[in-house]
Order: sequence, then C-alpha cells, then structure tokens
Amino acid sequence: MDSSKVIAAETLFNVDNEKECIARAQRGDQEAFHTLYENYHRRVYALCWRMLADKDAAEDVCQEVFVQVWQKISYFRGESKFSTWLHSVATNIVLGHIRKHKTWIQRIFSIEEQTVQEVAVDMPEIPELDKQIMKLPERARLVFVLFAVEGYRHEEIAQMLNMAVGSSKAQYHRAKGLLRDWVEAES
Amino acid sequence: MKLSEQDLQVKIDELPQEMSPERDLWTGIEKAIQNKTQESANRQGKNIIVPVAWAASVCLAVLMTWGSMTPTEDSMQTLSVASVLKEDFAQQRQTLLVSFGAPDISKLSPEMQAELNKLASARKSIEKALTDDPENADLLNLLRWTQQQELDFIEKLYSPQWQSI
Repeated sequence: MDSSKVIAAETLFNVDNEKECIARAQRGDQEAFHTLYENYHRRVYALCWRMLADKDAAEDVCQEVFVQVWQKISYFRGESKFSTWLHSVATNIVLGHIRKHKTWIQRIFSIEEQTVQEVAVDMPEIPELDKQIMKLPERARLVFVLFAVEGYRHEEIAQMLNMAVGSSKAQYHRAKGLLRDWVEAES
Repeated sequence: MKLSEQDLQVKIDELPQEMSPERDLWTGIEKAIQNKTQESANRQGKNIIVPVAWAASVCLAVLMTWGSMTPTEDSMQTLSVASVLKEDFAQQRQTLLVSFGAPDISKLSPEMQAELNKLASARKSIEKALTDDPENADLLNLLRWTQQQELDFIEKLYSPQWQSI
C-alpha cells in the first residue's frame, strides 16, 4: 500500500470526537465504546503482548481490559488523556493477570522464569527487538517494557511491581545488557 | 561489534506502538459487556431503594419536627429565593430527563415510581413549609438537598451505574 495514502488514526479520531465518544460511552452507548475500541485496541494489544510475551494470553487480557474499561469508564474524569488512563488500566490488569497465573512456588520463593528461547520463531512480521524482548526473564521484561516502551518512571514501576526502585533500575540494566548481547549475536 | 546504547535506543524508538491481534476480540467484548449491563441493571433497582428511602425519611422527619416549631410570617425576599430554587430545580430536572431521551417515568417499575414519588412528595412538603416560613435557612438548605437527591435518583435510574472491580 502507498504509505502516502495511509491516514493516521489520530487525524480521523480527533480530540473532540474522542471526548464525545467517551461521554456517550459513559452514558452506556456501546456504539461509541466500539469506536474507542477501534481506535485503541491495537495499542492495548501491543502493551499486553509485550508484557505477557504470549499471543493468546495477550488477546484474552486485551479483551478483559476493554470489558473492565466499559465498567470503569464512568470514573474517567478527563483529568489526564484518555490514552494515558487506558494504558494505566491495561497495565494494572496485565500485572494482575501475571500475579494470578503464578504458581504457588513462584509466589513464595519469587522464583524467576528462565529466559524463553523458542518464542516468536514463526512471526516474521515482528521486529527483531520485539522477539528478543519476548525472550527476557519476566521481571526484566516487565521493567524494560514499562520503562523503555511505555515511558513509566522507575518509581512508578517499583510501586506497580512491588519492588525497590533500585531493583527496577537493576532489572532495566540487566534487560538492556541481554538485549544488546542478543541483538549483536543475531547480526 | 558492540551494540551501542544509542543504537539500542534507536531500535526501541522504532518499535511499533500498535499491533493487530489475530482474532476478532470485539465479539467477545460485546457479549461480556451486554451481560454486565444486564447484571448491573438488575442490581441497580435494589441498590437505589435503600438510600432513597433513607433520604425521604430524613426529609419527612425534619419537616414534621419543623412544622410543630415554626412561626408563620411572610417575606417576599426569601420567598423569592425559594421560588428561584424551585424554578432552577424544574429546569435541571427537565434538562436531565431530556439528556436521557425524555423517558416515560410511568414506565418505571412500581417500586422505582414509589421511591421517586416519596422524594417528590418530600420536596413539595418542604416547598409548602417554606411558604409559611420563607426566611428559614435550614428549610432552604433542606429543599436544596432534597432536590439534589431527586436529581441524583433520576440520574441513577437512567444512566448506567457500574460496579468497580
């Protein structure tokens, strides 16, 4: 497709339209909510996919995010951008999902998963760095995605992941180191 | 060759912000939110009755007490305050109902209608009491509060209320 013909979603879905859709969705209008979904679900899915490193789980959690957003949208007061609020809801739901799916041994002893080696082999459309991110150990991956991709501060990440700020920074440096090694090895 | 910090940052910046899921997620979301809407509507009726009953009871109790204690005298100035409150309320109520598509209140369940009537009755009693004691600030405050209860009740009846998760 000719890239010049691609119109950015942001242009079509301007701020006024978004405000109107939010207001209508807050009054229970499912059509307006569907418009919001159409505009944002790819970004939410990308967040879920990177944090969970699992396509199927990311799809399920992405659905859960929008179901919960539908229930909570009346609490959105417009004090922040809708996208910021949505990402914050999505991040919390993903983290809740991860906590729920940990085994009791992992919970008690905080055992970290090993790096995943066989992921994303059959996904040629995914950027090389994304494939490497999927291989990171869980904590390093979460910190890396939240800090480097989603733009959260280490203080915020530490609170979300229930860890010290220093640990968040250490995990980020660990992730960067692993990624640099792996990207070098690939090239 | 060692990948520099800058090179890594470039790769991070190049990561796509959006990804498309392979399957259609909306169908499942739509089903789920329809179920939740139905559940919420069922719960809504039960949740509204208790606070409204309390509000109406408080109004009536205050009015009965007040009725036995207040002298009767007229004041055009404060009467006009009550009139302004009354007119403002009528306008707000009308605007609110229009915003919900001017619903037919007679189609509400008998329980909801009874609660709404209790509040309206309390409001009218306060308005009547104000004609006898128009300077009374407490009565004016009570009228404001009752009017607000009635508006909140209408809003709860016709706008979706979602439980927090």
